[in-house]
Amino acid sequence: MDKIVKEIYDAVVNGNASGVKTKVQAALDAGVNIESLLNEGMIAPMKEVGELFETGEYFVPEMLIAARAMQAGMTLIRPVLLAQDIKPAGKVVIGTVKGDLHDIGKNLVSMMLEGAGFEMIDLGTDVSPEKFLEAIQAHQPDIVGISALLTTTMTNMDATLRYFEEHKVRDQVKVIIGGAPVTQAYANTIGADGYAPDANQAAALARQLMAA
Amino acid sequence: MSRYLCIACEVFARPLYSLAATSPNVIDIQLVQRSLHDEPNKMRPKLQKKIDMMEDRGYEAVLLGYGLCGNGTLGLQARTVPLVIPRVHDCIAMLLGDAKRYADEFEKTPGTYWFTQDFAERSDEEGKFRSLGPIPDEALAKQYDVFVTQYGKDNAEYLIETLGSWQRRYQRAAFLDMGVLEPDGYKTKLEADSERFDWAFEAITGDLKILRGLLNGDWAKKDAKNFIVIPPGSSVDITYDKHVFRCTPG
Repeated sequence: MDKIVKEIYDAVVNGNASGVKTKVQAALDAGVNIESLLNEGMIAPMKEVGELFETGEYFVPEMLIAARAMQAGMTLIRPVLLAQDIKPAGKVVIGTVKGDLHDIGKNLVSMMLEGAGFEMIDLGTDVSPEKFLEAIQAHQPDIVGISALLTTTMTNMDATLRYFEEHKVRDQVKVIIGGAPVTQAYANTIGADGYAPDANQAAALARQLMAA
Repeated sequence: MSRYLCIACEVFARPLYSLAATSPNVIDIQLVQRSLHDEPNKMRPKLQKKIDMMEDRGYEAVLLGYGLCGNGTLGLQARTVPLVIPRVHDCIAMLLGDAKRYADEFEKTPGTYWFTQDFAERSDEEGKFRSLGPIPDEALAKQYDVFVTQYGKDNAEYLIETLGSWQRRYQRAAFLDMGVLEPDGYKTKLEADSERFDWAFEAITGDLKILRGLLNGDWAKKDAKNFIVIPPGSSVDITYDKHVFRCTPG
């Protein structure tokens, strides 16, 4: 691995956003291979961050600042990827379900997926079935991610999936769900394609669904 | 006259004591700290332990002063006597007295932070009245300092901003007046605090109907739709609809 790519890797894991920005710019100026920069400098450290979270060494704050550092780098890398026609791992539309205004968990998932190489379209909070449908039609995503924090809003996930069925887009996308009250049993009940209990496992789930 | 044990979250303290005093039944109350709200996976074993400890004490039923509470009551098992739970998601529905009324309030303003006298008095933070929002100012400042030490100033500002971002999307502070006693200065303080957060303030009159029905044994009636009675050996399960709970035979 290039010395500067290794430094970027460390800066992402340590949540040093300004360091990542400076070093990514320097790497781009020096003509470092863009795919190596993306895979070794962005995706690989976020994978390690996810693993540190799984093992209980990292908590939400460490994950958030690492993801922020990664995003600082991605802002510079993305235009180059686009110019060189390098495709993302997949396209994901994500949002918090209708009636629910909470998004820390959803944002973490979104950042971990971005860190896993996915193109993210984040619809924010309180996303109605209609808004999800519009986004599916406009962006043609591979995956739709829906989150809920409350048991009172969780059941709107079911309504959202039924709405997709009514409008004949359900088969076009894989739907993954998550959030504090959500369980695998609920995912099975409403016929979602996947459930993940945390942001790291959500990234693994998305990769797995893309490979299927 | 029956003899019941009520295991309840401390957010119901004053209404429950008041209702128990005037109930036709003999009620023992055991309060459990409200911070378990944040940790449903700890709530479940804690409540089960309390249920188990109260076996063979001559109670005819164990009444739970809880709702679904973020799935914290799922899987609880009735042992030798029935376990009774109101069919509600949380304490707000319980204090509004009606799941439908809660759904309507939620539909109207989903970004509502609810307060009650007991919620304030029984804070885990050294008994202080809480400022509006779940993070008191002093605690927030302390948290900021910890973040600065651990991750630097730039990241600390980002974390405080990110972790508190939901507050900007909330629009209303609602004080639930249960009519048990005059709320003292708390209501006024809330009103002032809500201005600081740019939230609308509203005092809403609560309704003790569900809590009263729980203590008075309304659930034993044939058409009691506000409660589920879990018979001995069976456990609490979820329905994902307006019934909230169902019973899984043991």
